[in-house]
Amino acid sequence: MASAMRAARAQLEIATQNLANASTDGFRKALARVALTEGGLAVSERQSYEQGAVRTTGRRFDLALLGEGAFRVGEGLTREGAFARDRDGFLVDDRGRRLHGTRGVLRVSEDARIEPEGTVREGGRVVDRIPLPHGTRILAGALETSTVNPIGETLAILTAQRAFETAQKTLLAIDASREKAANDVARVQ
Amino acid sequence: MNRAMFAAASGMAAQQTQLEIVADNLANADVAGFKGAAATFADVRAGTLGLGTIAVGKHAVFAQGKLVRSGGAFDVAIDGPGFFVVERGGARAYTRNGEFARESDGTLRNSAGWALSGVRIPADALAARVERDGRVVIDTPAVKGRVIAQMRLASFAAPEALRPLGATLFAATEASGRARLFAPGKHDGPAIAFGMLERSNVSIVEAMMQILGAQRAYEANAKGVQAADEMLRIANNLHRG
Repeated sequence: MASAMRAARAQLEIATQNLANASTDGFRKALARVALTEGGLAVSERQSYEQGAVRTTGRRFDLALLGEGAFRVGEGLTREGAFARDRDGFLVDDRGRRLHGTRGVLRVSEDARIEPEGTVREGGRVVDRIPLPHGTRILAGALETSTVNPIGETLAILTAQRAFETAQKTLLAIDASREKAANDVARVQ
Repeated sequence: MNRAMFAAASGMAAQQTQLEIVADNLANADVAGFKGAAATFADVRAGTLGLGTIAVGKHAVFAQGKLVRSGGAFDVAIDGPGFFVVERGGARAYTRNGEFARESDGTLRNSAGWALSGVRIPADALAARVERDGRVVIDTPAVKGRVIAQMRLASFAAPEALRPLGATLFAATEASGRARLFAPGKHDGPAIAFGMLERSNVSIVEAMMQILGAQRAYEANAKGVQAADEMLRIANNLHRG
């Protein structure tokens, strides 16, 4: 029963982490998977690969990924494509990380355009390309919104809470029956 | 449970930030030349542990607003990117709000007293207008169509790094780069629209949607805090006295 309570806690943590990021662009929700193991209930977490809805923003270097893949920024990868051109021509996200093309850090002029295939064009000239997996396209001037559905997560929170309560009640019942066994059944008259 | 509680609380804080920004956008939806702002959030993780969310940035969205004909005698708007250069008491700022009025000293000032840089209308001018290419032309009793000034617009290497001074006024920063002055009206460049004003680029419908979304997400996060609290209470009651 203690493992059931731990599992409920883990489910709650996943649901609240998802909910907290309901407005984080490019965020992909985590899915909780509960499995019965020898040690009791165990919760594991994996990422959903669902495509998020796309909203237009009117900023020319906001990039939404349609399909698999991620942007390479500094040492990391992200699907949050809110980039702005800084005064040196680098495309930086709000954490100050620079977007990479196929030839390392991307540096563009003010009138650069990012095309759906990832091609970076200045005027008529192709200057670089943002590497994309086959079939993935980029929509410039838009962002991929979070895939978190607040209703689903609220349900997950309630479920976790009730599971926790049930486990607690069961634990108390087990405790009560053991108390009886220890104190009443073996009483010598 | 504590992690869940803090993650949910960070979600509530994020939605509150979102609401504040949208409310500010809505409040300025009728201000000429106002540019709406947007917030960016990022998830916080320590290895595989989710620790909620954090607001990482807020920036103005410099998308073009609709140009509308206005009644003002010295109203101007920019069709395309760029900013008006305005001055007050030696300080320089940049704006897309072109609601100017002629003062007794001949300057064109907005309601906050910022004067359009480099333009002074002579006292004997009967009428004044600004051409597409930024030339300021006046009619005097003696001459018609005399060019008295050339209006210049400012552009920046990174306009989103400008520092807001008010609803529609911006100052240059280290990150935005220096203002580069240019004459409007070049073949595909921005042009001046005289007698027009640029409306704010805030979409009321979109702002209302954002408010509804933020409100519901806030409530859902509050449920998360409550659930974590309730589970802690249950855990504390495990031991019956």
